[in-house]
Amino acid sequence: MLAIAFIGIGRSESSLVSVTVAGILIAAAALVTVPASSGNRFSLALAAATAVPLLIGPIFDFGGAVGAVAVGFLSGWIVLKLFGSAEHLITANSDFLRQSFGAFLFAAAYVVLAHAAGMVVGSASANLIGAVGAALVWFAFETVAWALFTYDRVSRRYLIKLAVEDWPVAFSLFAVGALFAYVLPELGWWAPVVALLPYSFAHLAFYRSHSARVTYSQTIRSLARIPEVAGLSPDGHSDRTAELAVAVATDLGLNPDEVRMVEYAARLHDIGRITLNELNIIKVGFTDDDIARWGAEIISEAPYLTEVAALVRQQHDPYRRPGERKDPDLPIPSKIIKAASAYDHATSELGFSALEALEVLHRGAAYDYDPDVVEGIRHIVMTR
Amino acid sequence: MQAIKVRLAVAYAALGVAALAVAMLTQEFPPLRDWAPFAVVAFLTVYHAVEVNDHLTASPAAMIFLATAVAFGAGHAALGAAAISAVSPVTKSDIAERRIALSVINWGQTVVAAVMAGFVLEPFFPDGAWSQRDFPLVAVGAMLASMVYHLVNWGLVSFAVRVVYRKREVRPWSRMGSILQSTVVMGFVGGLLGATYHLVPVALPLIFALFGVGYLAFSSLSELREAQEATLRGFIKALEAKDLYTRGHTERVAYFSQLIAERMNYRGTRLERVRWAALIHDVGKLAVPRDLIRKRGPLEDEEYLQLQTHAHVVEDLLAEVEFLRPMVEIASGHHSRFDGGGYGGTGHAHGTAPSQEARILAVADAFDAMTSTRSYRVALSQEFAFQELRSNAGTQFDPEVVEALVQSVVESGERYGSPNLGSEQDARYIAEGKFR
Repeated sequence: MLAIAFIGIGRSESSLVSVTVAGILIAAAALVTVPASSGNRFSLALAAATAVPLLIGPIFDFGGAVGAVAVGFLSGWIVLKLFGSAEHLITANSDFLRQSFGAFLFAAAYVVLAHAAGMVVGSASANLIGAVGAALVWFAFETVAWALFTYDRVSRRYLIKLAVEDWPVAFSLFAVGALFAYVLPELGWWAPVVALLPYSFAHLAFYRSHSARVTYSQTIRSLARIPEVAGLSPDGHSDRTAELAVAVATDLGLNPDEVRMVEYAARLHDIGRITLNELNIIKVGFTDDDIARWGAEIISEAPYLTEVAALVRQQHDPYRRPGERKDPDLPIPSKIIKAASAYDHATSELGFSALEALEVLHRGAAYDYDPDVVEGIRHIVMTR
Repeated sequence: MQAIKVRLAVAYAALGVAALAVAMLTQEFPPLRDWAPFAVVAFLTVYHAVEVNDHLTASPAAMIFLATAVAFGAGHAALGAAAISAVSPVTKSDIAERRIALSVINWGQTVVAAVMAGFVLEPFFPDGAWSQRDFPLVAVGAMLASMVYHLVNWGLVSFAVRVVYRKREVRPWSRMGSILQSTVVMGFVGGLLGATYHLVPVALPLIFALFGVGYLAFSSLSELREAQEATLRGFIKALEAKDLYTRGHTERVAYFSQLIAERMNYRGTRLERVRWAALIHDVGKLAVPRDLIRKRGPLEDEEYLQLQTHAHVVEDLLAEVEFLRPMVEIASGHHSRFDGGGYGGTGHAHGTAPSQEARILAVADAFDAMTSTRSYRVALSQEFAFQELRSNAGTQFDPEVVEALVQSVVESGERYGSPNLGSEQDARYIAEGKFR
């Protein structure tokens, strides 16, 4: 990267000072990150890296733009190594490398696209076309690279879908970078204020909604564990079932929204057991279906979880009863929860090995369990 | 009341039309290609008003109006902004609930406020071409105009409320401090954005796009917040419903806690925290064997211990949710006495005094326990409960909190408990069928 920086600056038509200042701007921005819904964190360096090529123009100064990005990320990396433990920094080297390379890609794509567009239209529109095109190139790269290198053993297709949902964050970073570049020559010292005011609004919104999302899933998890700590259902069952169910759901190609439903329903599938501390119920006895019904009753009191309540209600419905056709309306999440819960019951309660537990599922496949789901569980368990 | 509303609507509409007419006579309409995009943005923001935080519940419409007024510049500001406010006074809920008279009243007051704000801005505009040196002056002007806009608006609102509902005190006034703060900020931002438009017109779509994206995130945030609260409430309600004697207890304690806290000048996050703590204060009981909760007569030592440990386990569980941690601390402190005795919850040692929030919760809990029917006795009268709370003030309860509860319950005119049951012994006898 040092080499790229030297070559870039050497070939640049801009002054060494402006390129270095731009680089330091990028490095400073790298100190702040913003959380996105996928769990990825975007560095504000991206906004600065957008502003720099737009500002350092003339648009054909490839060396200056790329050199500044290189200087920026190099100094950013040094900062990272010095203060690497702070929470708001990007801490993983792989994330940092990916985002650095993304910024290069952005600068390069911008220069190439703006150059190409400049042959057809005027320079102002060419700048805009270059910036928008480069942003799209960057987002495509980031999405695919994040999906490929961040998590092991999670369906790539699912991760890409998840990463695409981050577009508002990426968009706001590009928008604030472009905004800053546009207003700086005219507004001078007012430019940072004008650019950062609307951005800080968006930043706050992303930050808050991220923490609200975390809080919500933590709350669901805590509520789901109430029957466990009360000794009414086996300890850790809801966590393990949810983990397996989510893995299977992503493997089967469900959408991020559906996967979230699977997670909540899997966590809460045994909440009906909270009623088991009532003496008269214990005396009369209960069936699995009762647990599902009570659970659905409890969950449906929460207006935002009606879908989850329906999934929990159907968690014990068999895939197909002997002599009947299969029920086409049985939701996939319910089928996943049924199989995942049974797998965890076999391995954790009955002391079966993974293979024996899979055998149990295989024997019930096409009657109790959906064969596709059983195949999904086999795939997950075998590649673990 | 409907007749008054209609008359008021006519008056406000006339006022609005008059203000528009004045603006039209003195100013020129801005070029349509400038005006139309602003009008669309303003309409969208007013239509999709979201809650930004505890202090800022209004839509940022005022900010948009100011930005447009500044962007239209000298000779156009008042008319341009008023024309925009004239086309965008409808919110989603107004349409859903068909509040026609209210919408008209709103229309009138917004137009008047926009015209006034526009005229206030006028002297702050530069004479010739714009440059960055004009920014500070315009920003100051916009802050002033924003204040005028809000003052006019609230003046008209409180007048309308006074006429229609015959209420003297209007809520927004009591929060003047925080409203003023956000007004000034909105004015500053609006002024800057409008001024930016004069120098770099391209910047404005980018700025609005940024606000738009932030807006989307904020609306998903408020949905999540509602979901969070609704989920916890729903669970507590569903679990409580199984027990005849505690049904509604949580909701009532939350209500009493809120009454007390509001009287003690709790606002925003602090108030929310008390309410949440009340919502979860009994969650520990969910894990306790039901026959133990419902048991008639005193608990044996072992059972008492069981009750406590179960309650603690669930509290620990909820404390894993970072957001709930302060609430759990309040909730677990509510069994300790004002003077430092009693058993506490998670991380609460004997002899330490509970926080004020926990003391509020303790009083609300005790009040509802006395004024509602339990398995071993029927509800006692409100007067008895007051007397009991007062006689234990200073030892078990915080006297300040007790007075706050008594005053706000008496003032609200609501009554709790049995009408004339002034003795614990009688209440027990009635429950056991020995009395009369």
